[in-house]
Amino acid sequence: MNLTADTQLPKQAAHHAVPDVSPLRDYLRGVLLGKPHQIDLVVACLLSRGHLLLDDLPGTGKTTLAKALAAGIQGRLARVQCTPDLLPADITGFSMFNQKTREFEFLPGPVFADVLLADELNRTTPRTQSALLEAMAERQVTIDGKPHPLSPTFFVIATQNPIDAHGAYPVPEAQLDRFAIKLRIGYPDREAQRRILRREVLDPGHQPPAADASAAAALSLDDLQQLQRQVQTVSVHPRVADYLIDLVEASRTDDGVELGISPRGMMRWQAIAQAWALLKERRFVTPTDVADVAHAVLSVRLLTRGESVDAVIQRIMASVPAPEYQ
Amino acid sequence: MPTWSRRRIETVGLAVWGIAAVIPLRFPVEPRGWLLAELGSLGLVLLIAETARKLRARDGRATRFPYGATAVLGSLPVVFAIAARVGGSPIAIEMSTLTTCGAVSLAIAVAALTDRTRSLSLILSGFLVLFCVSISDHRYAAVWPMVWMLGCIWHLIANHWERLDLAMPDAVQRNWTLRPSILISTLLLLALGAYAVKDRMAASQRLGIGLLPTSGGSRWSDPAARSGVGSGDAAIAARDHAESFGAVDSDIFLESTESSLFDMVNDMLGEPKQRNQWERRQAVGHERLIPSHQRSARSEQGAGSFSTERLPPQRHQHFQDAREPSVVQWDGPTGIRLAMQRYDSFDGSQWFQSAKLARQPLTRVDIDDAPWFFDPRLRTFVTDHPDATSVGLLKIIRLDSQRLPVPMLTAGVHIKQVDRQDFFGITDDGSFFMPGRQRVPPLTVVHVASTTLSEDAIRRHLVPSRSEPPRGGPNAAGSLTTADALTSLVRTATAGWTSPYDQLDACLAKLRQEFTFDRAGASSARSLAEFLQTRRGGDHLFATTAALMARELGLSSRLVTGFYVRPNAFDPGAGHASILPRDVHVWAEVQLADGRWFEIEPTPGYRPPSYRPSWALRCRQFAAAAWPLLVGGLLVLAALYRTRGLWIDWGLTAIWSLTGWLRPRQRVRLAIRIIETRARLAGQRRPSGKSQRAWLEQLTLADARLAAAARKFCDAADHLFFGRADDDPLPGATEPIEFELVELLHVSTLIALTQRTPS
Repeated sequence: MNLTADTQLPKQAAHHAVPDVSPLRDYLRGVLLGKPHQIDLVVACLLSRGHLLLDDLPGTGKTTLAKALAAGIQGRLARVQCTPDLLPADITGFSMFNQKTREFEFLPGPVFADVLLADELNRTTPRTQSALLEAMAERQVTIDGKPHPLSPTFFVIATQNPIDAHGAYPVPEAQLDRFAIKLRIGYPDREAQRRILRREVLDPGHQPPAADASAAAALSLDDLQQLQRQVQTVSVHPRVADYLIDLVEASRTDDGVELGISPRGMMRWQAIAQAWALLKERRFVTPTDVADVAHAVLSVRLLTRGESVDAVIQRIMASVPAPEYQ
Repeated sequence: MPTWSRRRIETVGLAVWGIAAVIPLRFPVEPRGWLLAELGSLGLVLLIAETARKLRARDGRATRFPYGATAVLGSLPVVFAIAARVGGSPIAIEMSTLTTCGAVSLAIAVAALTDRTRSLSLILSGFLVLFCVSISDHRYAAVWPMVWMLGCIWHLIANHWERLDLAMPDAVQRNWTLRPSILISTLLLLALGAYAVKDRMAASQRLGIGLLPTSGGSRWSDPAARSGVGSGDAAIAARDHAESFGAVDSDIFLESTESSLFDMVNDMLGEPKQRNQWERRQAVGHERLIPSHQRSARSEQGAGSFSTERLPPQRHQHFQDAREPSVVQWDGPTGIRLAMQRYDSFDGSQWFQSAKLARQPLTRVDIDDAPWFFDPRLRTFVTDHPDATSVGLLKIIRLDSQRLPVPMLTAGVHIKQVDRQDFFGITDDGSFFMPGRQRVPPLTVVHVASTTLSEDAIRRHLVPSRSEPPRGGPNAAGSLTTADALTSLVRTATAGWTSPYDQLDACLAKLRQEFTFDRAGASSARSLAEFLQTRRGGDHLFATTAALMARELGLSSRLVTGFYVRPNAFDPGAGHASILPRDVHVWAEVQLADGRWFEIEPTPGYRPPSYRPSWALRCRQFAAAAWPLLVGGLLVLAALYRTRGLWIDWGLTAIWSLTGWLRPRQRVRLAIRIIETRARLAGQRRPSGKSQRAWLEQLTLADARLAAAARKFCDAADHLFFGRADDDPLPGATEPIEFELVELLHVSTLIALTQRTPS
């Protein structure tokens, strides 16, 4: 099934069989307390077939989130701890000569999982980074001249540690474009921290992630694929599309920006906004959707000239008037 | 296709504009009935042709009717020209030609099928507009081509640049910007061009003779020509062309309707040889000499001799229509007075003139190679305030006097090419005259430069000299009762006024309001005493009373006789005001401390001289007169401004409750406008980059009920404006949209929300 066929699914059929995404959301909210907006963004990223870059301090729940997500979609989780000595083959897999069968046998790497957590992506060498990023873009890896397709719901969560840059290989901006969004989870608020502590006290012997919620009722992989197809059918009004284009053009012409949004980035933005609209139980994108996901979309691919990215994003968003009710 | 029809409408519009440019030329000179009928018929035929065309396009039937109507449209002015001539009020041929040109251009625009034909119509209408403006002497004539050019540029952009507009990469989104910006730049360019030539416009306002025969032609060649002599141009030369100086066509003004015995003798036997009687004169270049033989018909007074030596008889032309009753022609402001004689002492019944025609030397000043002769006392005012000087043209027609009738505060005079100082003189009291001759030669054109006076200057310099007894002695006001009557009149008039100008003004106002002007009526007063009693009399009594009242106030005053230029006397066709014998008038003048005299007009029915107050004075006067109103108004405005939230909110609520009949889209639009206006009043303007939904959600965050209402409203609005038309409706979207938010979110609510949000 290719993408074109997806978008042309009969509307009625597509509409009636919408699986409910809320169990996954509720489950994730139960795991990562006090971060509903970030969780919605992660789910939107998943639904729009994008990949996620988490840029945060250690101990804020990046790994917890990735694990919960894999559990929530009942997919296989693979985890790669990126170190300077990690090789591309450690991610993609390799062919090994089987002494018994006298044949080369392909041993798939972690990239063949449904959810891949690449911890501390900026710690590994550019070569390995590139191998991963290529797999993300193509959704297949070629080993020994043979293409191997990845899981149809292949979802990468890469994390970066913004501090302690010593000995790190920052991911090139062009590569960063392959991620759909960049998120900063941040510290939970007081109430959430209180709940986290209470949870630890009440049930000290249990596994921490499953404490508040169970993954049993969340999404299946099939449901996820169906939802992903559904996202593509969410309509975008011409005025909203114009708004998106205006924003993209503003990002290119802003004085503080070295590199604006590419057409690929623009497409990703629209896809995330579509997923966002679906999460809000709507079948059309509103300007508010575009604006809501703007920060996450822009922060991953905006290269500024020394100015803080947040300030530039704020300026760009303020410079383009949103379509009004008229 | 819409583009095609738009182009067509634009061409038709420009052609109509071309015809409209002819109207200002025709309107003042033609019978209104015929003109309106012609224009009405043009409009009617245009309407018929258009309707027929539309119907044909709808039916698809090929009829010739629209073509017929278009042909009628093109030839209608010709029909009217013939009809009007037959009907006895002919239209000038030139005018008919111009209108025909416009009608043809309109017909082409209506019938055109291709752009090429359309541009033919464009060329015709453009030519018409430009030509009409070039022959128009209207002040705002330049507006016509400006509007036409803007329309044409708009049309050209539509024709040629539309595709360019689409091809411009950054114009893909908003292609409306190109047209207005080009129009605005064109307008700027036109304005710059107009500014560059603005000084030359005045010089080219009058056309040289012969360039345009609009009013020319004789009665024979064109019955619609203005009454004239010979070619008609000569009449224009004599009547309109104020520069004609000397013996140019003098005859038509001197034409005597009743010829004397001597005239008839002259006609039959020839004129007697004149014994030359030379007045002072100055030679002018022979190129200015216009032969005027065979045009004279001169009345001769009888003499005690009859000559037998005679010239061969000249053929004399009789002109039925050459009748010019003017004494003087004046090209300048109207509603003013032209003074000739000034009398400064009064003995109770008679005014006397103390100034003699003693010639005071005038100062010669050459301005633009023209020799001007200035009153030395007023010359400094002219040089100090060149803006306050205006130049009028005076043409003496039949005035048997040495004196020149000039406006008050006339500083200098100039007669073209006359540079001899001894031609002019000025009396002590400021009257200009031409010494050494019986009278000012007829048809002499005199340029008169007069200064104006502002109310500020009068207020500054009008100082009563109490110590000096009124001129003319204690009995100046005549008998004791007259003096008493005057004093009481002045006292009642000036009660409550302190400044001399206001007192004088109050006196004049009293005269103008309580006395009746009646020059020759049976009940009009025959003397000053009678006038003060009956309060009814001629302008000489008004002027005398005013002058005496001014003296009561301690001001120097004098009586002036001369002519009044009626405000409606100006004939725009001829370009001058004719002053007739009945315009003789008497008024008064009052002296300022610096020696200048200014006019006062006590007679009702005559326009008082205007002394323009400066803006500062006007503001002071207004503030003094209306300060309670100003303060009260300011307070009310301040109160309104302070409570603007309240009453604008009421107004918006009223508008909202009255617009329940709107369609959902329009109602949502109105609702969001109302909410945004209220938010602005509450100091919560929506940031430009923020979507309305996000803004509303943020605004109502603190109040759960409001937040729910806002969400409901935004859901519905989002669905209406950004949803897919064929999409399944939202749950509940088929029901009427709830506008609870508009009823909840008032200015006061918003202010309360704002105060709650930070906490």
